[in-house]
Amino acid sequence: MRILLIEDDPETASYVAHGLQDEGHQLNVALDGREGLDQARENSWDLLIVDRMLPRLDGLTLVKTLRTDDVKTPVLFLTTMGGVGDRVSGLNAGADDYLVKPFAFAELVARVNALGRRPQEMSLGTVLRVGDLELDLMGRSVRRGDTSIELQPREFRLLAYLMRHAGETVTRSMLLENVWDFHFDPRTNIVETHISRLRAKLNKGDSPDLIHTVRGAGYSIHESA
Amino acid sequence: MSLPRIFRTSIFRLTLLYAGLFSLSVLVLFVAIFWFGSGYVESQIDQSVTNELAEIQSRAAFGDLDHYREVIDSYVERAPSGVYYVLENSGGEVLAGNMQGVEPVVGIQSFALKVPSERHPGEVLGVRGRGIQVAGDGYLYVGLDNFELIKMREMIAGFFLWGFAATISLAIMGGFLMSQSLLRSVEAISSTSREIVAGDLSQRVPVRGVGDEFDHLASSLNTMLDRITGLMESMRQVSSDIAHDLRTPLSRLRQRLELARRREDSVEQLHEALDRSIEDVDAILDTFTALLRIAQIEAHTNATGLSHVDLSEVLNEMGEVYQSVAEERGQRLEVSIPDGLIVLGDRELLPQLFSNLTENAIRHCPAGAKIRIDALRVLDGIVVSVSDNGSGIPPEFRTKVFQRFFQMDSSRTNDGTGLGLSLVAAIASLHHASIELLDNHPGLRVKLKFPLLNAI
Repeated sequence: MRILLIEDDPETASYVAHGLQDEGHQLNVALDGREGLDQARENSWDLLIVDRMLPRLDGLTLVKTLRTDDVKTPVLFLTTMGGVGDRVSGLNAGADDYLVKPFAFAELVARVNALGRRPQEMSLGTVLRVGDLELDLMGRSVRRGDTSIELQPREFRLLAYLMRHAGETVTRSMLLENVWDFHFDPRTNIVETHISRLRAKLNKGDSPDLIHTVRGAGYSIHESA
Repeated sequence: MSLPRIFRTSIFRLTLLYAGLFSLSVLVLFVAIFWFGSGYVESQIDQSVTNELAEIQSRAAFGDLDHYREVIDSYVERAPSGVYYVLENSGGEVLAGNMQGVEPVVGIQSFALKVPSERHPGEVLGVRGRGIQVAGDGYLYVGLDNFELIKMREMIAGFFLWGFAATISLAIMGGFLMSQSLLRSVEAISSTSREIVAGDLSQRVPVRGVGDEFDHLASSLNTMLDRITGLMESMRQVSSDIAHDLRTPLSRLRQRLELARRREDSVEQLHEALDRSIEDVDAILDTFTALLRIAQIEAHTNATGLSHVDLSEVLNEMGEVYQSVAEERGQRLEVSIPDGLIVLGDRELLPQLFSNLTENAIRHCPAGAKIRIDALRVLDGIVVSVSDNGSGIPPEFRTKVFQRFFQMDSSRTNDGTGLGLSLVAAIASLHHASIELLDNHPGLRVKLKFPLLNAI
């Protein structure tokens, strides 16, 4: 993936750039907002990672300007601004995701992958499939092979989110944000509890487990290799 | 040398101004009375003189000058003191009378008497009278001395002099006393402020208890000082708590890193040590994040950014989310919420508030416990309770638990940061909601009361 990182702190920039390069992405770094805006306009990128507090042009204005200019490249805000309303203002400016520093690297990798693959895999179909598991978004039904599975609304949302990101790792906080609308870290194991219930419902009989735990990162749904 | 302080106060200047204005009005009054009084006495004199002239004329029966002379002579003989007559012929020669000759001018005229008066020794009196033509070209003048007028004027002047003196001294005395007492009140406030500036925040402005403006000012200032002291105290508390609370994990982290550095471990062991160190750092960062969030919410006290939130929906969601978590721990979570409870709130913070309370109940209660989330519409608000039948919180801890880093279990063995309820309190306060910890007999009942929509 070709990623433009707009970050003024060289240490953070190098940490993020090297880490993502290790993941196989191609990274370019812009050290201020004005340069970042120029680069974002001139080249085609798969993803922009933008800091909010930047010299010369702040991140929020940068993203707003890009969206006004009809640049649709996905944007991930990577910022220390985690105050009340900061996330909402960031998303309202046109960003696709918002990650507050400090972050675990696995979290960043997961979110980058989720954003980067979106355009190609944005299928308009309403039926999601992973192996013999089938989820109908319109009919709100789930089948595994020939067996229909009854899910509670939250379990349905959880499975749908996992299946939309089939093959990718989704982190606990991505699930909390997107499935539960929780923008804070709960102190009980909500996600684990619901995942284990979902697994139990999906894996009746001796069908193989499709939801895989990615150690230190999160979960991934895919056919067992 | 500068003037004494009292002369430099605006109150004193105002008093002087008022005293001046008052004196001026007394003066105007004096002039008016003096003027009108004199006028009155003069018109009385004129009237008497006119009467006297008419009487003389009728006595003389409008005869010749000799007639007049006889009449005047008899009048002069029995004239009371202060009445003056003079009769002159056409040559200006005095024929009869008891005063010097005058210019034969018809009408009112006044002179200074040349003869000293017996009534008022030592002073030259004036005389005021009227002259008329009699018996062809003779001239008769009848006048009264101005003794009465002088007496009256002296009286008025004396009266006003005393009055004026009294007015001035009363005004100055009153002004002095008034400014003294006001100055004392102001001085009390400024000396208190000076002491506070010097570092003694425990000082308070004395309230005299008379309920005047100065008392109001003093008590508002004291309330402000209480608030500031409270904030300072909590700041001090928080910073020392942060230092204290973070020292333990930081020193543990340091030990671990040092140990890993010293020992000649395998790469795997080093990785493990690093992983655990990262976990430690994450825990410390969590504490900072929570602190920051509380501070941000507390700073966010104006209700901007709040919108109508369906509290029923939020609470039902809480029930749905935590039902399975509770079940997994062998607990029961029951939710009973009427529909359509709307509050002015923050769509992200309200779930955090109730999630915190529900998780507290789940985490602190043993298996088999029953946890309830109830909501109730009351006359003046919406009451939400999160209750459990666990071990509860002893009454003496019920306010302390809202303090940052306070944990009932002083060994801090559980995984809490000690910030959960501080965050709850901050979010509640942002929503103008009151929060109470009650005994659930047994267990804890956290009662939140949100104001009605139109009451904010």
